[in-house]
Amino acid sequence: MAYGSERVTCLVSLLFFAKSRELVGQKEVQLQVPSACTGKQLLNHIVLFYPELSLISNNLVLSLNDKYLDIDENQVTLQENDELAVIPPISGG
Amino acid sequence: MNEEQLRNELQNKEKEIQRLKKLLGEDEHFKLLTVPEKDLEKQKEKSETLSKEDISRYSRQLILDDFGVKGQIAVKNTNVLIVGAGGLGCPAAIYLAAAGIGRLGVIDYDEVELSNLHRQILHTVDRVGLSKSLSVVQSCCRLNPSTEYVPYHLQLDSSNALRIIESYDIILDATDNVATRYLLNDACVLAGKPLVSGSALRFEGQLTVYHHDGGPCYRCLYPQPPPSEAVTNCSEGGVLGVVPGIIGSLQALEAIKIATGIGTSFSQKLLLFDALDGTFRTVKLRPRCKSCLVCGENPTISQLIDYEQFCGAKATDKDHKLHLLERSQRISAKEYSEMVNSKKPHVLVDVRPAIELDICQLPHPVINIPFTSLSRNITEVKDQLLLKLKELSSDDFHDYTVPVVCVCRRGNDSQLAVQQLMKVLADDKVKVIDIKGGLHSWSKHIDSHFPIY
Repeated sequence: MAYGSERVTCLVSLLFFAKSRELVGQKEVQLQVPSACTGKQLLNHIVLFYPELSLISNNLVLSLNDKYLDIDENQVTLQENDELAVIPPISGG
Repeated sequence: MNEEQLRNELQNKEKEIQRLKKLLGEDEHFKLLTVPEKDLEKQKEKSETLSKEDISRYSRQLILDDFGVKGQIAVKNTNVLIVGAGGLGCPAAIYLAAAGIGRLGVIDYDEVELSNLHRQILHTVDRVGLSKSLSVVQSCCRLNPSTEYVPYHLQLDSSNALRIIESYDIILDATDNVATRYLLNDACVLAGKPLVSGSALRFEGQLTVYHHDGGPCYRCLYPQPPPSEAVTNCSEGGVLGVVPGIIGSLQALEAIKIATGIGTSFSQKLLLFDALDGTFRTVKLRPRCKSCLVCGENPTISQLIDYEQFCGAKATDKDHKLHLLERSQRISAKEYSEMVNSKKPHVLVDVRPAIELDICQLPHPVINIPFTSLSRNITEVKDQLLLKLKELSSDDFHDYTVPVVCVCRRGNDSQLAVQQLMKVLADDKVKVIDIKGGLHSWSKHIDSHFPIY
């Protein structure tokens, strides 16, 4: 995987909510992610490590430090200890 | 029959008539609507004052600095529609009624069941079988008769949604399925109404306000619906009753805030509630998406579409019966019962989650292989089953192949399990079958004391 020539990575917390929590079977993990990439690359990177998420990869919101992260964003910058979250909608009630 | 027997009979019939009347929704106070009501389109006259009774009833909120008489009059002049009279709709309805909302519409196509009562707290035991929307307004009316209540016993769909929504100022999404969520979103965008959306499953809840104050709509965040197999509903995944209780209460609060303009709403914010950790996390959302198909700058959705088709799923949270197997791959509960009684050797595989085996089990030794982990562990499962089959094969039954019998709660997962097991056991000439209709069928046809859930 090449995310540019530098391939700098950082360790972030990755939180799972709703269906993603059910699929992965965990609430929170630590994951090494590229420090600079596009939104799509970041999502692909997460799905690569948690392939069970591919089922819902088109139907979720990503957030970075509690702020919406646009998957169409071209430049995402991540830092050590950042908090990423995978948030699919809940439809029950 | 003697006279006393006749009298009893008469009494029973009268009770039955009362029960049927209730089911039909013949209520002396409320007219249960099964189609959108024309008269509602007229806006009610706005009130500008509070009555003496209003002042006493709402005194504790009238003295709030930000709320006051102005806030109470705003609440009184606001019409709220709650879609879904279930776990979210009940708490939302009762708090809006208590707060003195002007008109409260409640939509639900369903009737009250015993398994609803742990979370749908406005229904009662004696209303099992009654229309949920009627049950909710009956309960609300006991708390506050001054609100105008409109119960709708119907399925909200593309043909009626806009007509109904038009008579209301704020809409609450308290539904339980994806198709209705997209329908309500699009309807609210087309009608220009804010949508207070709540949802809950297991120990988690979500809350946000769509299409309000420059915030996004549901489609801005989730342009594509999830594949139907990725959707878990409450009857399958379970839900702790108080979780929708909390989210539904917050929906009422949001509606009151929007009606009165106090505070800041959950527009462009998503609340994530985790009941087990006891945490509320707020995620800042994106603004309205310019390329959104319904609320964007060049919308392509200008009228409601077929949402069941769009989502590839029915607009209910009821489970649908799958028909995946041939007749020869299935046995009825009765046939299985005969198998047990005649002591025919077989391997019984219960594919429900382990936690559900504590609720009830068939009267035969069982191997629990939860369907959800089956594909992950398929090799180990194959070895385990072959070993067990070998143990059970004896000379007593020469022409008899010991089968693997799969069972689950309703007979859907058991069919999927048979399909998966067939793939790995076919080479070993193992017969894999399932019990049609699962434990529900067992309870219905074989053992009426067997619990269903």
